[in-house]
Amino acid sequence: MIVMLKAEHLSFFLNGWALLEDVSFSLERGDCLFVIGPNGAGKTTLLRSLLRLHETGRYGGRVELAGRDAAALTRRELAKIASYAPQDGGAAPPFTVEEFLQLSRYPHIPPSGRLSGADREAVRRALRLTGLEGQSSALLRHLSGGERRKAYLAAALAQEAELMFLDEPAAFLDPRHEAELHRLLKQLNREQGLTVVTVTHNLNHALDAGGNVLALKKGRALFFGPGGELAYGGLAREVFDHAFSVLRHPVSGRPLLAADSL
Amino acid sequence: MFQSTSDSVRRVDCPSLKGEVSNHKEFLMNNTTKLRILMVCCLVPVVCAPFAGMSFISPGEIFATGSPDAEVFRRLRLPRTVAAFFAGAGLSVAGMLFQAMFRNPLATPFTLGISGGAAFGASLYVYLGAGAAFGVSGGIWAAPAGALLSMLLVWALTRSRGAFSTPVLLLSGVIINFFFSSLVMLLQYLSRADDSLRIMHWLMGSLAVPDIARVSDMVFVVLAGFVFVGRLAPALDLLSAGEELAASRGVEVGRVKLWVFLAASLMVGVIVSLAGPIGFVGMMVPHVCRRMLGRRHGLLLPGAFVLGGAFLVVCDLGARTLFAPAELPIGIITALLGGPFFLWVLFRGGGRGVML
Repeated sequence: MIVMLKAEHLSFFLNGWALLEDVSFSLERGDCLFVIGPNGAGKTTLLRSLLRLHETGRYGGRVELAGRDAAALTRRELAKIASYAPQDGGAAPPFTVEEFLQLSRYPHIPPSGRLSGADREAVRRALRLTGLEGQSSALLRHLSGGERRKAYLAAALAQEAELMFLDEPAAFLDPRHEAELHRLLKQLNREQGLTVVTVTHNLNHALDAGGNVLALKKGRALFFGPGGELAYGGLAREVFDHAFSVLRHPVSGRPLLAADSL
Repeated sequence: MFQSTSDSVRRVDCPSLKGEVSNHKEFLMNNTTKLRILMVCCLVPVVCAPFAGMSFISPGEIFATGSPDAEVFRRLRLPRTVAAFFAGAGLSVAGMLFQAMFRNPLATPFTLGISGGAAFGASLYVYLGAGAAFGVSGGIWAAPAGALLSMLLVWALTRSRGAFSTPVLLLSGVIINFFFSSLVMLLQYLSRADDSLRIMHWLMGSLAVPDIARVSDMVFVVLAGFVFVGRLAPALDLLSAGEELAASRGVEVGRVKLWVFLAASLMVGVIVSLAGPIGFVGMMVPHVCRRMLGRRHGLLLPGAFVLGGAFLVVCDLGARTLFAPAELPIGIITALLGGPFFLWVLFRGGGRGVML
């Protein structure tokens, strides 16, 4: 198998603080990884460190993307290997959905900015897959929170990279759209061998989606392994400092985690 | 989330937003067509301006040899119109660049302290080179050097607090601008009376240029800068969507920002050294362009170039005809138009208009 993503002793320091410390894991082509952990555990910092997006601060350790040292790649090369859907913070970019997706073709286009037929097809495909065709000419800031999350995902899809980094793609989505999103990611993962790294707060999805889970706490990796193991051994309790009950799904019989009330 | 919900409700019943939606859906005219129409419309005043003035010069006369009108046309009005066009074009493009980089419509050559730095550089040159007039060609580098100096100061101040923050940047710019304004006043105070008067006149802004060589220098710098940043248009689009996003899509953010800074500071510096610190053009024109042409810099940059050029040509025409034979400093005209325009932008649609 081809190793798509490998982190060796990855650390990130800002103003003398270690926001991420000694995180190691590796993913093969077509793997799925769910990054879980309490607020402020360093989940987003991990994604940004893997993509070397931090403007200030210092990295430690080593990251390999598709077999190449991330530190030695140009931004354009990196953007061709890995796409990114950041968290939705602050003001929405001042573009329509379609324009926003076209911008994601940046690593593939010449300096003139002219889009080729392949570029336009990639944008159309991303719109179709995320069901945003009807909203393609709406401004991002006029969309609802959920629709905007989908637009960010679509933009990452339009980037057409083998690795995808998604920061809480299901935030603000209603149950139906969340299920649709999961189905879409699974389909992309299975049919096209896309390697997907997702930051999520949905423990039960991480539990039974059939991928790996990386649990972070205070910048350190507490656990890396198959998601199914999350339900046992008090792991969730250790990660979140909170008690969980393990239930059984009445139909499928699969374990479910329910956070106990205080 | 609640914010967005109320947005989509407002989309239906708020008339001020309807225009924006229809911009993309109902209008059959696309933005490229609009840019072409804008270019043609801007050409008209630019072509007509050199014929108009205190006295009208008919097109037939300009080729007549020995006629005084032909001399006035060729030696005074034509260079002046060219200077006005490229000064306006350069200031607007610089404004557009800063606004894209800082995602803030208040980022202009003026508010970032660049004009102030350039004014200081030029005044220092007059003070030190005592007696040498602004016409001396060596002086053309004094203002750009001042512009770069102030830009570096603003940049260093902004970065000294760790991560980049736009409010800190704008505040630094305002402070640096004040600082350099007081230095200019100090120089004026220390200068001989005639130098002091010269500095004051120049600070009000004027396009009455005695020297064609300096106009051609400026034209060269503005054109070169414009062509150079034109290649960065897709990167600027992404930067206006956010730096992290731009970096994740393959933009070398640091490098692009540095080049854009250098290009814009150089353009502003050269323009200021020739025409004085002309304000508000760099804020008004980019804003109007975004309203008309959308958000893609492939269209916005050429749009700002022609509209800014035509705008300053018209302002300059006003400067030399309104109180003829006396001439109004052009800086006064742009500021008189710019102040109310700024307020209009600020207060229409409950402040929404100011957002990019």
